[in-house]
Amino acid sequence: MSRSLSETAQMPKLSRRGFLGGAAALSFAVGASGLVSVARAAAPTGSNDLEPNIWVRIAADDSITIVFPSTEMGQGSSTALPVILAEELDADWDRVLVEQLDRDDRAFGNPLFGGVLYTAGSTGVAGYFDPLRKAGAQARRVLLQIAAEHWSVPIDSLTTEPSVVVHGASGRRLSYGEIAALPTSSLTVPEVSDADLKPRSVYRLIGQSVPRHDVPAKSSGTETYAIDVRVPGMAYATVLRSPVEGEQPLEINDGETLAVAGVLQTVTLPDGVAVVAETLEAALAGRDRLQVTWSEDSPARAFDSEADLAAYAEIAGDLNQNGAAWRSEGDAAAAIGAAERVIEADYLSDYAYHAQMEPMAAVAAVEADGKGAEVWVGTQTQSWTMRTITEVLETDPERIRLHMMTMGGSFGRRTALTQEYLRDALLTSKAVGRPVKAVWTREDDVKYGWFRPIAAQKLRAGLTADGKLTGWHHRVATPSVIAYFNPLRWQQVDPSDIISMRGAESRFYGIPDFLAEHLITEPRARLAPWRAIGASYTSFAAEAFMDELAEAAGRDPVEFRIELLQDNPRGRGLLERVTEMSGWGGSPPEGRALGLSFAGYGSSMAAGVVEISLDRDSGWITVHRLWAAVDGGLIVSPDNAQAQVEGGIVYGLGSALKERVTIRNGEVEQNNFYDYEILRANEIPEIQVQFQVSDGPPTGMGEVGTPMTAGAIANAFHTLTGKRLRHMPFTPERVMAALAS
Amino acid sequence: MTQFLVNGESVESEAAPETALLWVLREHLGLTGTKFGCGAGMCGACTVHVDGQPSFSCLTQLADVAGREVTTIEGLSENGDHPLQRAWVAEQVPQCGYCQSGQIMQAAALLATTPNAEEAEIREAMSGNLCRCGTYNRIVRAVQRAAREV
Repeated sequence: MSRSLSETAQMPKLSRRGFLGGAAALSFAVGASGLVSVARAAAPTGSNDLEPNIWVRIAADDSITIVFPSTEMGQGSSTALPVILAEELDADWDRVLVEQLDRDDRAFGNPLFGGVLYTAGSTGVAGYFDPLRKAGAQARRVLLQIAAEHWSVPIDSLTTEPSVVVHGASGRRLSYGEIAALPTSSLTVPEVSDADLKPRSVYRLIGQSVPRHDVPAKSSGTETYAIDVRVPGMAYATVLRSPVEGEQPLEINDGETLAVAGVLQTVTLPDGVAVVAETLEAALAGRDRLQVTWSEDSPARAFDSEADLAAYAEIAGDLNQNGAAWRSEGDAAAAIGAAERVIEADYLSDYAYHAQMEPMAAVAAVEADGKGAEVWVGTQTQSWTMRTITEVLETDPERIRLHMMTMGGSFGRRTALTQEYLRDALLTSKAVGRPVKAVWTREDDVKYGWFRPIAAQKLRAGLTADGKLTGWHHRVATPSVIAYFNPLRWQQVDPSDIISMRGAESRFYGIPDFLAEHLITEPRARLAPWRAIGASYTSFAAEAFMDELAEAAGRDPVEFRIELLQDNPRGRGLLERVTEMSGWGGSPPEGRALGLSFAGYGSSMAAGVVEISLDRDSGWITVHRLWAAVDGGLIVSPDNAQAQVEGGIVYGLGSALKERVTIRNGEVEQNNFYDYEILRANEIPEIQVQFQVSDGPPTGMGEVGTPMTAGAIANAFHTLTGKRLRHMPFTPERVMAALAS
Repeated sequence: MTQFLVNGESVESEAAPETALLWVLREHLGLTGTKFGCGAGMCGACTVHVDGQPSFSCLTQLADVAGREVTTIEGLSENGDHPLQRAWVAEQVPQCGYCQSGQIMQAAALLATTPNAEEAEIREAMSGNLCRCGTYNRIVRAVQRAAREV
């Protein structure tokens, strides 16, 4: 009997059909001069391919094609996920081909997002670990069955080596490709259970740092991103958008625009005006000359980041206002009320911009009837991308040929239910009847960004007479990010917003009387998930506050935390490891100080120590060294995990030290990398990461490095100066103000 | 009509002389290995060599390269096997990869003039090239690895 591997997966009967229907492949031909041309080719027919389940195809030439259900933005899961399947299949990795899933086919859905095709939240490896292992094991069983039938031997007498089935007794061997080409009769797709999966001790690929398959192309300039796509007859579009969210174009004077050589026409969009031209330079020049009168009645004109954050802070500080409980254990109010001493502190954080290196871009070729289209775009979700397309064109998915392109970074930017950069490519292509590449400039990307929200947090906790923590109350005043970027999802989860609140659960610590609550404020900017989501600011506040409590209790911050980790030996191990790595308790070089933080993301934990110095004349903080001890359960690819943690740390350091979007009269004040600065090569500390590999399942590496960074810096700053930094980022102005306080 | 050399081949462009070299390379000639990041000389993703000198192609006008030789990532090596490119693979540098063409072109210019650059020199020389994935320390290691091979 056949059966499903997961709730959503439809397992087909064993088939030899070549390719899932409607699939097509992009091929990129690189000429001798390096000139790239792009063409669509029909999918290979491969009628002899063996397709044991939806995830994998084995061809007579021994190639093994594995479906990649996520999308690639740099996190490396387009290697890590196929590795998981290849491990259980016992595949020769050198013969594995990775096929991007280009459809909203929920049979491949992310189990951690309810089956939606969604690449976010460090869930790729964690979510697909079981389905992919079972698919690999099942495919291997199919190969064994066919070989057993062919040789007329018991299936139990067969073993596998990489891509070969071996009959040990006779010494006979068949490659997987040879088996795929064999005639078979009456085969069924076998059931597999956890008992059919390999023990970790015999893994050949998992844990071995298989090199990423995308690295050679990304080292030779041949990787193709959405912004690189060129198709015959393509025009270009740039969009002049309303400077304030919610305004519309009332009057358009495009006379000068249309006079620019190469400009084809302007297209009025719901919130902007597109200039479509034969060349990108003409589209940009035409946009420069466009005169638009905007409506002036949007409530967003009142958005002001400084005033809005102050208003959030009032809400956080007003204990008469109750929020939505994010996590509640015991009775925090009673414990704090009965404490010998109550400690309180307020923390603030600013808007932050994703700053992915590839500005938003999409290519759409809408057919003459306006209902069919071929689309090239990079996003974190096939599901919401297909939804955007079908809503904009009022059409069915069957009319759409989608190409999910590798992204030049994303960090949460390309996750929303409605993707306006894609919408604009579709609407302009439909209007001009040609394929259109819609390109955002960096200024567009900053001005019309969707940001990490501002947040005001109040922390309160009690201390007993002997300096022990009793009662924890964490109030976070910030909007619901989910309500803004995915209203459909908000209907399902209201009022529980993991994007806004993650980290505030502080669940690595054992604190019996605990309350974290979300004071859901009005959104005053476009909002989206941002790497590490809420934990980038909630863990800053919680870990800075933990040090404030330790100081008030007159205790060492490591010892104070370890006391709260009695039921979390893995967490305790990380703290012990990182103090060893960093020489905690010793004497740092003159003018430097260490700071500690312990946070994480979901079930992945990280303990970090930074070593900083300070230029007291300018207020610049320099981070010289950073040590991190990380537990993310099983690690599929240790080298890539190192890279991800290090990248997450660098992201967190930038957020802690520099990154800040401000909004005045509803307009974003920043423009480009000269006024939204991210860290550069000469500002990066020496970073040492060690993993504590536990026997738990993989729990994600993409974001675990970020949450602990800001708290560690704030804590080191206090050790160095005796002053507290409670407003992130720690800009020189804020540092100077703290020193003067 | 502007004539110049790209990766050893003579090309003629009918684009307006003030057109950014970046757009000519990417959109007219299809050399998309060179990336658009900021258009303001702040990120280095568009770095190419003009007569061997590292240049921001987003701030270079087509007229500026008339009669000159432009090298892009596609022309750095025959088969992607420049010592830096081999080092990039060995150190598994790229994550999203978008900035890496510019990083490699900048590093190639550095090694051409300073083959024995110290780590601090490498960091300074590479600090005009942004990487949002945070691969900076691997970039430094890869440049050092390539320097040992050259």
